[in-house]
Amino acid sequence: MNILVLNCGSSSIKYQLINTDSEVALAKGMVARIGMSASVLTHKPHDRDQTVISAEILDHIQATEQVINILLSDKYGVIKDRSEIHAIGHRVVHGGEKFTDSVLITSDLMKELRELIELAPLHNPHNIRGINACSKTLPGVPQVAVFDTSVHHKIPDYAYIYGIPYVLYKRYGIRRYGFHGMSHRYVSVRAAKMIGRPLEELKIITCHLGNGASITAFDGGVSIDTSMGFTPLEGLLMGTRTGDMDPAIILHIMAREELTLHEANTLLNKHSGLLGISGVSSDMKEVTSAAVDGHSNAQLAFNTYCYRIRKYIGSYTAALKGLDAVVFTGGVGENSIPVRSATCAGFEYLGMAIDADKNDAVDGKECDISTDDSRVKILVVPTNEELVIARDTKRIVEESA
Amino acid sequence: MASPKIMVIGAGVMGQGLAEAIATEGTEVMLLDKTTRLAEKGIKGISESMDREIEKWGLTESDKKAIMARIIPSSDLSMADETEIIIEAIPEKLELKRDLFEKLDTICKSDCLIISNTGTISVSELAEVTERPEKIIGMHFLNPVTKIPLVEIIKGLKTDDETFKKAVAFASILGKEYITVNEYPGYVTTRIIVPLLNEAMHVLMEGVASAEDIDRAMKLGFGFNVGPLTLADTMGLDVVMSWMQNLLNELSEHKYNPCPLLRKMVRAGHLGVKTGSGFFRYDEEGNKIKDNDKKVSQ
Repeated sequence: MNILVLNCGSSSIKYQLINTDSEVALAKGMVARIGMSASVLTHKPHDRDQTVISAEILDHIQATEQVINILLSDKYGVIKDRSEIHAIGHRVVHGGEKFTDSVLITSDLMKELRELIELAPLHNPHNIRGINACSKTLPGVPQVAVFDTSVHHKIPDYAYIYGIPYVLYKRYGIRRYGFHGMSHRYVSVRAAKMIGRPLEELKIITCHLGNGASITAFDGGVSIDTSMGFTPLEGLLMGTRTGDMDPAIILHIMAREELTLHEANTLLNKHSGLLGISGVSSDMKEVTSAAVDGHSNAQLAFNTYCYRIRKYIGSYTAALKGLDAVVFTGGVGENSIPVRSATCAGFEYLGMAIDADKNDAVDGKECDISTDDSRVKILVVPTNEELVIARDTKRIVEESA
Repeated sequence: MASPKIMVIGAGVMGQGLAEAIATEGTEVMLLDKTTRLAEKGIKGISESMDREIEKWGLTESDKKAIMARIIPSSDLSMADETEIIIEAIPEKLELKRDLFEKLDTICKSDCLIISNTGTISVSELAEVTERPEKIIGMHFLNPVTKIPLVEIIKGLKTDDETFKKAVAFASILGKEYITVNEYPGYVTTRIIVPLLNEAMHVLMEGVASAEDIDRAMKLGFGFNVGPLTLADTMGLDVVMSWMQNLLNELSEHKYNPCPLLRKMVRAGHLGVKTGSGFFRYDEEGNKIKDNDKKVSQ
């Protein structure tokens, strides 16, 4: 089955056409700058070179049309006919409390998705726009929504509730939802395979460290806690987001700097984190190399970043009442030797020790970087969120057939 | 490259704000003025305004880059022939606006939405100089356009429903809430705020309290975000005076008679933030100079 996997943002669409039998992405790419007269389509077929096309793409309908055209084209295409796209899987950021699994998209469902916009005003509207666009460009092809939040739906109430009046939870749905679900799920399953034991009997902490970053505790394959909360702002220090902080700070800053809600929101989400502390960059590679060159604030940002992860590993070990593996994934998790090294140092008392040579030798593939006698395994697993979406889409389409 | 579907005419403060607001929502926009130099000055103004917003954490450098790339300066009014939405924000003078509307009428497509961003001038009177009065509508945005969530939509006597609906859709693209206003001088916002500003100037002129205390009183006492004298400085004292004169001409009511202090300051070229001095003094970036809060003229 060929699944078109889409991740629709405000002015971009990322896509992959995945064959679920071989689990290979036949092609992947992205449409950027939608709404401009010079939009850019980047397309890479599995077995050929990448190509870049500039065109006027004014909306998501035109964008999906362009994606289908290039998938069909003689020169860059990978399929011959539209009918070879058997289903479409959409990444939808927020599924609220309602969606505990991926779902087939129907007109009734669209109504419920629209109701969730209030919870994810930055993401869900664009996801919905992408779904509507596909209904027009690929009518009759089944579409499935796969949510970032649904893997976390079994987090117990004492872990998802915030210490504010309970009525606000009832009134506005204010609770921990968690995000990066596809990634955490994928790497936890891979980790169990690598360890060679059933997922059901393992206690695993997964660290998704990308531009956004979150950490999840899996007990027997079930997410029992995760660091992102009501929004993706909570938890770890990120590229440009604060992560955990005393909420009174923002009230204080808003008063002192006379900030509007919008300005405060941008401050927390786009001017903070690694970028905010280091003043150098939101990119861990650049922060690390500045730190090596003696930039003290870059070093501080690096230290804060790693310390925050260590605290979460400690607290989730307590929450899990034990630990079998820590998994690193995401751009930073997969590529930063110093982050993994600083994060995992000094956990010997928990039976976890990193092997420096193995850590240095990570090369983009799944690997175990703990010492041979480390009871707790430290694993690096390249994530594959699109594959999770493709698999879910196949399952849901087959179930509902 | 196709030309933008939206055009803003007049690259002054309001035109800059409109272009920035439109581009911020992800749409390309042409910012037009009489000369390329004026249009480019407008672009520079937008860039500076965004720099201030970055300093206040409201924007990032990469946001700014993306937004600026969507604003195209021009001085060629004939480009309006392909445009779908035109909004003018040229000075609040009837002859200038009438002249522009006459020209637009000959250039624009028949289904083009033509909007006047006016606070006090009659939309019907502007519509009359065109052959398509039913397609002309007023949308009164407030400064700073990117921050004020309100727009007044003004139906002229002949504005049709389709035009009104298009204007509502345009407001929603910009994320603005709107109120519907039946044409009458000053609409709602200008009509109510102008006498308040004027009264604050009288209180100052009569020596009742200092400029700073007048503003503090209204901020702390009534929850105003900014005091009336600071607000007048921000709007531009010449602009406030032209509103008053328009209201006075239309309604002949004494309450719209500009306070003598306002007349005097406008004559002296103390126009508020944009000239660095008004009821308060401002640095080049438009920040109030704190140690010198006393009024500068009188």
